[in-house]
Amino acid sequence: MTITEKIMAYNSGRDKVTPGELVWTDVFSVMTMDYLGKETFKMFDSLGTGDVFDKSRVICVSDHLVPPPTPQFATMLNEWRAAVKAHDIQYFYDLGRQGIAHQIMVEQGHVLPGKISVGTDSHANTYGAVGAMGNAVAVSDAAVAMATGKCWFRVPEQVKFYVTGTWQPWVMAKDLSLHIMGMMRWNGHLIYKTLEFAGPAIDALGMAGRMTLCNMTVDLGAKNGIIAPDQTTIDFLRPVQKGNWDMIASDADASYEAIYEIDITNLGPTVSRPDKLDDVVPVEMVVGTKFNKAFVGTCTNGRLEDIAMVAKILEGQQVHPDVNFLLVPASTQIMKDAIKAGYISTLLDAGVAVDTPSCSACAGIHTGVAGDGDVVLSAGNRNMKGRMGSKNAAIYLTSPAVVAASALKGEIVDPRR
Amino acid sequence: MIIRGKAWTSREYVMSFDMVVQRFWTSPIDKTENAKFIMAGVDAKYDQENAFKDEGYTFIVAAHNFAGGGKSIEHCVTGLMGAGIQVVFADSFARLQFRNAINYGLPFVTAKNVIDMVETGDELEYNLETCELKNLTNGQSMMTAPVAPFVAEVAAAGGLMDFIRQKIKDGTVGELR
Repeated sequence: MTITEKIMAYNSGRDKVTPGELVWTDVFSVMTMDYLGKETFKMFDSLGTGDVFDKSRVICVSDHLVPPPTPQFATMLNEWRAAVKAHDIQYFYDLGRQGIAHQIMVEQGHVLPGKISVGTDSHANTYGAVGAMGNAVAVSDAAVAMATGKCWFRVPEQVKFYVTGTWQPWVMAKDLSLHIMGMMRWNGHLIYKTLEFAGPAIDALGMAGRMTLCNMTVDLGAKNGIIAPDQTTIDFLRPVQKGNWDMIASDADASYEAIYEIDITNLGPTVSRPDKLDDVVPVEMVVGTKFNKAFVGTCTNGRLEDIAMVAKILEGQQVHPDVNFLLVPASTQIMKDAIKAGYISTLLDAGVAVDTPSCSACAGIHTGVAGDGDVVLSAGNRNMKGRMGSKNAAIYLTSPAVVAASALKGEIVDPRR
Repeated sequence: MIIRGKAWTSREYVMSFDMVVQRFWTSPIDKTENAKFIMAGVDAKYDQENAFKDEGYTFIVAAHNFAGGGKSIEHCVTGLMGAGIQVVFADSFARLQFRNAINYGLPFVTAKNVIDMVETGDELEYNLETCELKNLTNGQSMMTAPVAPFVAEVAAAGGLMDFIRQKIKDGTVGELR
């Protein structure tokens, strides 16, 4: 069996599972966040079970709406806080301790290898970075999981990406994500499938890169993305999780619907052109494209390693006067670490605006949204029309390295030059 | 059970974020409310209150990856139901909304190349037991994929929430596996 099949089998009391089978599994943790949380608790209450299945494993996070930009959002947040409080939830990451939910779930040890966690936001696939099965669900499923500690799943078909070679300087996990997007197409060729990443180039990735890779599997239509836990995973989780966990890996003879091999040595910085995520090209093909907004943050690329890359490129230099550069760390912990490392002052000196952690401009409903005529160079995860605000804005997606290097010039450049 | 009615079709990708546009992502879940601006981003003419609903469709017929684009919000499904949609046919469905459809008991039926036998406005008839789809306007017909037993069971219970309520009442939640 593959790692995902094993996780689904072990958490549903079976010896084995087969793709296509529908199973109810135990859920280790359930995440919900500000803008859907009140609805989730309302649905949960309607089930009439009283308490949630485990007050330490229903994780509540304020991320899409904080700090509130409008009276409407402020009111929603108040209602959300009242709902969280009424259910006596042990882990509530509200403004002041906030972060993007998926970052919080991994960083604070609320997802563990060999376990299944669900969240009411599509990028819950991120949890696969620690060898968990992370799944996005809607509020009904989350409400049922909160009440019963269970969720139903269809066992997905298994697909493996075996990645070899050596990462070139200035090339990041995001480039691989976008490369796979271009290779497999955005619209659904991997619908419902597991994407397992393995191979020496994956082993070489730190947790930030692993999170980026698993995060964007939802945008490939996949059910989950996963990387088998190893020493990197243990070193990452040990400070926040004292217990033992299952170091599950795929069997050598596990069966896959398809295995794709990629040699990372040949991969350079990669860009997705506006409107369609799979309109992916090597950076060379868009060099010289002018833009007026730069954005680094989100559950895809708002981590310390991403900020370090931006700071390294911008150190001692100035962002082009025609570019507004907004950087938003993915969590309060990352913000603190970035301050300690000196990155934030480097960024401020270079002319970057740094905002308090949130989903920020990514979903187009919070701070830093795009207006008519804006051309945005973003390290986020989606670039369909209107994603970051105005339908009359264009969004290029790429890695933090490309955003930073390009922001110095006001046009897209190849960071290797 | 046999369902009859008019179809809305699209050969293009029908994306979840266009079915429910950004300004309604934060709305409460309510079939009537969510239906008001359903499909507002798919076609600008539906960005008016009840514009899609008022055209009176019972079926949606689409191509590949219906309701894709990564939104998990169930407003897409409650909005369609509130607008009178009783069955959606497509070559394939995005997993997040396929899941929501199952949870609400709205049949999302896989039917290869179904888009080739239906135009918007055609009168269709679908037999939920035999899985036969007939186009009454042009006389064509096809067999669709059958519904999995679990999906039928959830639908028969009135959706996931009622399904679970019954299990809680019976004390059999622990037996779910």
